[in-house]
Amino acid sequence: MLKYNAISIDEIFKNVDYAEEIQKCMQCGMCAGSCPLRHHMDFPPRKIFALLRAGEIEKVLNSKSILLCTSCYSCMVRCPRGIHVMDIMHGLAHYAIRLGRISRKKTATFGQEFWRQVYERGRVDEKDLSRRYFFSNGFIEGIKNAVSMADMGLVMLFHGRMKLLPEKKIKGIKELRLMLDKAQQM
Amino acid sequence: MRYFLYWGCSLEASGANYLYSLRPVCEALGMEFEEIEDWNCCGASVSYAGARDLAIKVLNARNLALAEKKGGYDIVAPCSSCYIQMNKVNHELQEDEALREKVNQILSEAGLNYKGSIRVRHILDVLYNDVGIDALKDRVIKPLNGLKVGGYVGCQSVRPYGEYDSVERPKVHDEILKAIGAEPVKFPKKMQCCGSGIFLPEMELCMGLVKDILEDATSHGAEIISTVCPMCAMNLEMYQGRINKRYGTEFKVPIVYLTQLMAVALGMDLKKGAALHMNFIPPEYVIKPVIEGGI
Repeated sequence: MLKYNAISIDEIFKNVDYAEEIQKCMQCGMCAGSCPLRHHMDFPPRKIFALLRAGEIEKVLNSKSILLCTSCYSCMVRCPRGIHVMDIMHGLAHYAIRLGRISRKKTATFGQEFWRQVYERGRVDEKDLSRRYFFSNGFIEGIKNAVSMADMGLVMLFHGRMKLLPEKKIKGIKELRLMLDKAQQM
Repeated sequence: MRYFLYWGCSLEASGANYLYSLRPVCEALGMEFEEIEDWNCCGASVSYAGARDLAIKVLNARNLALAEKKGGYDIVAPCSSCYIQMNKVNHELQEDEALREKVNQILSEAGLNYKGSIRVRHILDVLYNDVGIDALKDRVIKPLNGLKVGGYVGCQSVRPYGEYDSVERPKVHDEILKAIGAEPVKFPKKMQCCGSGIFLPEMELCMGLVKDILEDATSHGAEIISTVCPMCAMNLEMYQGRINKRYGTEFKVPIVYLTQLMAVALGMDLKKGAALHMNFIPPEYVIKPVIEGGI
């Protein structure tokens, strides 16, 4: 049976950097054993690679694992085949989000808001990032989020660990955006 | 010893006590810093949600190109995330000519170009290899007299290349602790990730990681934990109250930056030099007795 709108492995190779390297994977499981959040993943990296090779692309793109990477590089430094495991997980997450398959909404939103900071200012304003992240799901939920984290905000403020003034845009922001647009399209 | 200091976004806000203590310490040890003019964010570890890999490479290449144009000194990154991002992109650009060409084509939009001559280094690398343990020891005025410190290395500060320290059994952090008179405790989870950039959205899962780290360090005798990463510091320090509530633990472990301990040992003011007043869990109670009881 033909799958509706099926995505082929070639699409993955085209859209995810280093993805061809999954062909080198010997399924030893070192990546899975090294991952700090492995217990919370539906498919640890080893299984993700096996699923891709078996053509189960949808399972991979809808897996929560690809959005649970803490970027600790343990898998990458330990992989006996020198596969860019972490980069592939990040690439899969990016591709899945672009296709609208968002398995971990909060983490995806946080990452997208982070990138928006970079794109809009060239730098990240931590308090603006938290505000946008908290309010990303509407006003009421935003207030709830903000209230639940207010203790932390106040502690940071009183200890001089919050920048009071809003972060300014870098001088070269126009050129930076031009470059980033070009990179995103290439 | 002149360097570019690329302190990044965090060190101006939640990691302010890191930058605050780092500058006087490094200056006292003979390092001079310049800022990369008009630097931008490195993209940290969560940008992949919104950006493809090439855009993140361009982001870092811009900083490298600016540094190359303005003097070409080594870039020192105290934030582990800045370090890993910039160092990784730098390696890729140096090793892959086709990629460098592609990135330079994009950089030309801003009249920039990167030849690949810059070295990106972590602050620990520079302290250990350029300043050196002996020179550091010579400057110690108030040794920390056996203060039991858990030198928490975390994940990103030595990875992925392990250029100045082992990626599995790092020693530089502990060597510096020893040089300032502290006693680094051994604990197996010293390289276990704290949840890094996704702690906030994945708090429920990541609290368990931090609980394990705190439990491991304190059960091996640590009275205080030192780190060199603003995310480690934030995640280990800020969420202790929530972790206690969730797991019924009673953590109240001070989390400091290694440079804060160094500032104390170099005889600097606890407030003006070491910025201890900026920590959420006051470290003074642990630190004062050892320096006052000492020589």
